[in-house]
Amino acid sequence: MSLHDSSLKATPTAPTPGGLSVLSRLTDPRVYCALIALSLLVIIPAWSGSTFMVHVFVTICVFGALSTAWNILGGYAGQLSLGHTVFYGLGGYTAALLLTHFGLSPWIGMIAGAALAALVSLGIGYPCFRLRGPFFSLATIAFLEVVRLLSIHFNGVTGGSAGLVVPLQIGWPWMIFRDKINYLYIAFGLLVLSLAVSYAIRHSRLGYSLTAVRERDSAAQAAGININGVKLWAMAISAALTALVGTFHAMYMTFLEPATLFSLATAIEIAMFALIGGLGTVAGPLLGTVLVVPLAELARGWLGASANGLHGFVYGSVLVIITLTLPGGLVGTFGPFVVRLIDRLPGGGRTRADVVAPATKIITGTPGEVVLKAQNLVKRFGGLTATDNVSLTLKRGEILGVIGPNGAGKTTVFAQLSGFLTPNAGTIEILGPDGKWHQPSAPDAFARLGIGRTFQIVQPFGKLSVLENIMIGAFLRHRSVDDARAVALRVARLMGLDDVKDVEAGTLPIGGLKRLEVARTLATEPSILLLDEVMAGQSQSDTLKMVELIRAIRDTGVTVIAIEHNMQAIMSLSDRIVVIDSGKVIAEGKPDAVVRERRVIEAYLGEDFVDAQGL
Amino acid sequence: MKSFARAALAAALLVAASPFAGPAAAQGTIKFGALYPFSGGLALLGDESFRGFELAVEERNAAGGIDGKKIEYIKGDAVDPNQAVGEARRLTSVDKVSAIFGTYSSSLSLAATQVTELAGVPYFELGAVSDPITERGFKYVFRTNATARDFAVRMVDSVIEAIAPALGVKPADLKVGIIHEDSLYGQTVSGYQKTRAKEKGLNVVEVLPYSAKSVDLTPVILRLKSAGVDVVLQTSYQNDTVLFFRQMKDQGYKPKAVMGAGGGYSTRDTMMAVGAENMEGALDVDFTQYNTNPKATPGLTEFVGKYKAKYGIDPRSGHSLANYMGAKVFFDAIAAAKSTDADKVRAAVMKVDIPVGETATGWGAKFSEQGQNTRAQPFLMQWQGGNLVTVFPEAAAVAKMKVGVGAN
Amino acid sequence: MDVLIQLVLNGILLGSMYAIISVGLTLIFGIVRVVNFAHGEFLMVGMYAAYLLAAKFGLHPYASAIPVVLLLFALGALVQRFLIQPLLSADEHIQIFATVGLSTALVNLALLLFGADLYSVPPSAAQGSVQVAGFTLVKGQIVMFVCALALVAGLHLFMQSTALGRAIRATAQNRNAALLMGVKVDKIYVIAFGMGAACVGLASALVMPLYPVTPTIGTYFVLTAFVVVVLGGMRSMYGAFFGAMIIGLVDSLSGYYIAPDLKEVVYFALFLLILIFKPTGLFGLGRGTE
Repeated sequence: MSLHDSSLKATPTAPTPGGLSVLSRLTDPRVYCALIALSLLVIIPAWSGSTFMVHVFVTICVFGALSTAWNILGGYAGQLSLGHTVFYGLGGYTAALLLTHFGLSPWIGMIAGAALAALVSLGIGYPCFRLRGPFFSLATIAFLEVVRLLSIHFNGVTGGSAGLVVPLQIGWPWMIFRDKINYLYIAFGLLVLSLAVSYAIRHSRLGYSLTAVRERDSAAQAAGININGVKLWAMAISAALTALVGTFHAMYMTFLEPATLFSLATAIEIAMFALIGGLGTVAGPLLGTVLVVPLAELARGWLGASANGLHGFVYGSVLVIITLTLPGGLVGTFGPFVVRLIDRLPGGGRTRADVVAPATKIITGTPGEVVLKAQNLVKRFGGLTATDNVSLTLKRGEILGVIGPNGAGKTTVFAQLSGFLTPNAGTIEILGPDGKWHQPSAPDAFARLGIGRTFQIVQPFGKLSVLENIMIGAFLRHRSVDDARAVALRVARLMGLDDVKDVEAGTLPIGGLKRLEVARTLATEPSILLLDEVMAGQSQSDTLKMVELIRAIRDTGVTVIAIEHNMQAIMSLSDRIVVIDSGKVIAEGKPDAVVRERRVIEAYLGEDFVDAQGL
Repeated sequence: MKSFARAALAAALLVAASPFAGPAAAQGTIKFGALYPFSGGLALLGDESFRGFELAVEERNAAGGIDGKKIEYIKGDAVDPNQAVGEARRLTSVDKVSAIFGTYSSSLSLAATQVTELAGVPYFELGAVSDPITERGFKYVFRTNATARDFAVRMVDSVIEAIAPALGVKPADLKVGIIHEDSLYGQTVSGYQKTRAKEKGLNVVEVLPYSAKSVDLTPVILRLKSAGVDVVLQTSYQNDTVLFFRQMKDQGYKPKAVMGAGGGYSTRDTMMAVGAENMEGALDVDFTQYNTNPKATPGLTEFVGKYKAKYGIDPRSGHSLANYMGAKVFFDAIAAAKSTDADKVRAAVMKVDIPVGETATGWGAKFSEQGQNTRAQPFLMQWQGGNLVTVFPEAAAVAKMKVGVGAN
Repeated sequence: MDVLIQLVLNGILLGSMYAIISVGLTLIFGIVRVVNFAHGEFLMVGMYAAYLLAAKFGLHPYASAIPVVLLLFALGALVQRFLIQPLLSADEHIQIFATVGLSTALVNLALLLFGADLYSVPPSAAQGSVQVAGFTLVKGQIVMFVCALALVAGLHLFMQSTALGRAIRATAQNRNAALLMGVKVDKIYVIAFGMGAACVGLASALVMPLYPVTPTIGTYFVLTAFVVVVLGGMRSMYGAFFGAMIIGLVDSLSGYYIAPDLKEVVYFALFLLILIFKPTGLFGLGRGTE
């Protein structure tokens, strides 16, 4: 696998071979270097002719495939499973039991095992994905322990600790061979399969969604990503691949026991290979395996018998040192450099052809009709009533300004209108593109119905490039990566972000981040746009541009609702103003009428002063 | 760039693999593999087992080798089944050994023998106890040592033949409790105990598996206590043996007899941690240990002498002795075959016929079609005054069996 | 009935051992927000230290508590300063890997230095038991029970009534606010990690008379300690204490009434249920999902 996809950091020349024919892609040095490197995994042992070399490379392929599969969940989705051998063991045991009890070929058992592992992974993932960081890891360890102990306890079925010996039937149907090179072909095939799946995911909408979820789940939800949905996909795919490898490896060892197949140490090792190579990269897990497995073999040979424990000590220390010095792993740290070198080879350094952006979704419907109805919303936090019986209606094509003093509860209302908070009482109804009224329940469902929101406190995906940030939004309406990229480019130009499009988003100044926030939301092609203080932190000229832009967006048929402290801007922009104070709507109407209302002036007495200081 | 790195790595691997291969077999040598866990968690007893093999090789070479050919051996280090497969592959294909000796651990042996059988290379198991190793219908796997079933049978039969008479009760009146740690070792031995006890009409009232990592065995002990178990048969490692004896004392549980299946029961460490007075009277079924009547075990004393001379300490467990004895039996068989051809070796092994009491372990040697030695029996031993002494069979005994456990 | 009472008593005493091991883990997680996967290995280090003090200087493990506590404090502080602190702003992934790596390294270092043999201190009175109304209580476990109570009470007093304790609590509640108030957060973290490790040091001195030490002894306790901490609500010392009692009881009762080899399954299942359905812990004293 080439390294070019591996780094989340955008390289200055970020070509991808999209849009080129398969044959011409082969002349890209990134492609041919990857293929050459990969094929060495077969060529070296085949050329050496030694079955020991074959064994070492089978082991590399097996662990490379396991680690690559793990990385789909652990790296892309950021869910650090330390119990992944559950699926490896399930794959092994399913096939072995079907073979010994029913005489079924392990190839069938392999599929059955993968299916079972995927099912079990959903059972584990669904409840556990609400757990964060280390608690998810602990839960996966606990699952592994439970499965291991149960497999020992029910020894009538599994053979228990005494283990299960696979009968030695020779030939392809039984996955047991006299000629060991055949094992390598299968192991290599599994590795290539894992890499291909991993590569495809990394360069698909699912991959971008997973990265978005890993980086910042709230912004991912606002972009219409079903957080648990994508994580479950990642887990099921990862589990199924792991089980495939598990079946093969069990047939390779021809002996199964819970201690080996449900081993916590192996689970940690798999994760470690990915970390050393580079989490969340396509090539990293394999690279980590290629480096560590042979080194471990050698270290055991040299140190093993004389100094028991030395090899493990070195192993653990290397892990610690890697986390301290190369948290990005080998690929994350050296990847961009290597890619640049590779691009100097013949045929390298090409840039991609731009794809014409697909047409923006046309918003249909009658201007002026009601598109959103919020009735009697109440939201309490403990004793505090942050939203107190608020009702709002939005009409198609209008710009509604929401103003009110700090802490009045404006953002809380927004959070309810976009599904991030569920009101304690009251209903929110949205007119969908199908002309029917909907009451969605989750933020991603709101987003899919056309609600786009920005966050007052910016929520960029810090490690993605600006363009990739916008693409995350664009994926809501466009499945293909090329289309999403083209749409994102268009939006970036619109928002004046095209000159920083390859910059890592986390490094943008606050003004840029605010615009990125709007850009990502616009890329979802919303029919209702919720803007939360997007003008804060913008220069005078940028504010003017933003006002122009919002008008232009409205002119395409989008309904806009904006929270804003910049009174001048909001007054000139809005068709209608709602004033919120202490969680209640205290005034509503045309801008010039609202500002004359006594209660509004009262509410704002201190606020103007603050504004003058702060802006 | 990457391909370079990988090629370099592969080259390094090849270079590194070559020292394993050793100098090209000189004329007049015969090459064997020695497959043991030399690193990892099993290393201590894996290495102890290997020492027995090593001593047997040295002895044989000093006496002129096999058919005038010196024995050369190549070590294979197997820490887990995947490694066992890898090392077995290396030994059979790269080093082209004539036979492999091993393995101490049953899971490693099960994995490695699957490889050697396909390769048609004889595999001589000298220490692993799992019965299926010689129950798979393999042609080239042979084992000298007693198996888990032999352990279980000896334990159950000892209850009937030794404990019940000593207590002056009928065996069927004794309440027997079987407890075991739940890894391969405990699960296998206890499985055969249950079967044998049923055959013999013993009254087994409790069968309690537990994790060897338990930090509290009180529930197990209270179950035994409430069931009024008279005789406890335990299959355990060190930690859980120590825990069991300490907590048995704490809970004031005093069974009439406690018997272990080797493992934690055979080590000095266990006795030191439990205390000699608390371990007093504990019975143990295991491979032949060193406090055995030398008349029944010709060569035992010499073995201990050679061991001390080479390693500077007393043997750490009976594993070295069992491996020593087994290796010698097979060296003789290969010499008799006058060939390293697997089928000829098999024929020679099948012809081996050594009566009981004529080897250093006191075992005889006669192999079944499956390659299992039918004349290997574990001995019954007992902790007496801080020493593990053999009490059965009669010929090998150095002391009389006593009744009672602990200082009571 | 007698058996039940005996089991409950054993469960509580076993629970106090889990409590004294888990308090340190809770402390570290509550303040530094790092799950220390090497916690069990800290226990192992402490036990080897206690063993060496007993073997070389004839110190009773209880007397060795003081040097062992100091040693573990130093170990914890060093780990925080040179391993965790540089990674505080890194992904949680990286922190997990760092402590997992530390755990692997320490286990194998012990294997290298001491081999796989088990070492125990000479038998002492702590191994004896007393009879109370016909029930058996192990002296060493009674000591642990008292120490666990004293430790929790002592930490409570320390946190409530000393300036350092207040600074630690402020840091635990809101790192940034504490930083603004002039609290030297990095230093507080070093102290807190050291204190957490020191608690394990105390635990190891108390455990040593009852269990022999091996390189992998930590793994016998660490998963249980995690279960206890989650049950108690992750950050609450009191939660951990009661969580430990519950696990002690579950351990003791399920070992008897269900099956000894399934008791781990029972409490891991409990652990998963709690994590999933009540991530704030049994007593709602913390948060697992924020």
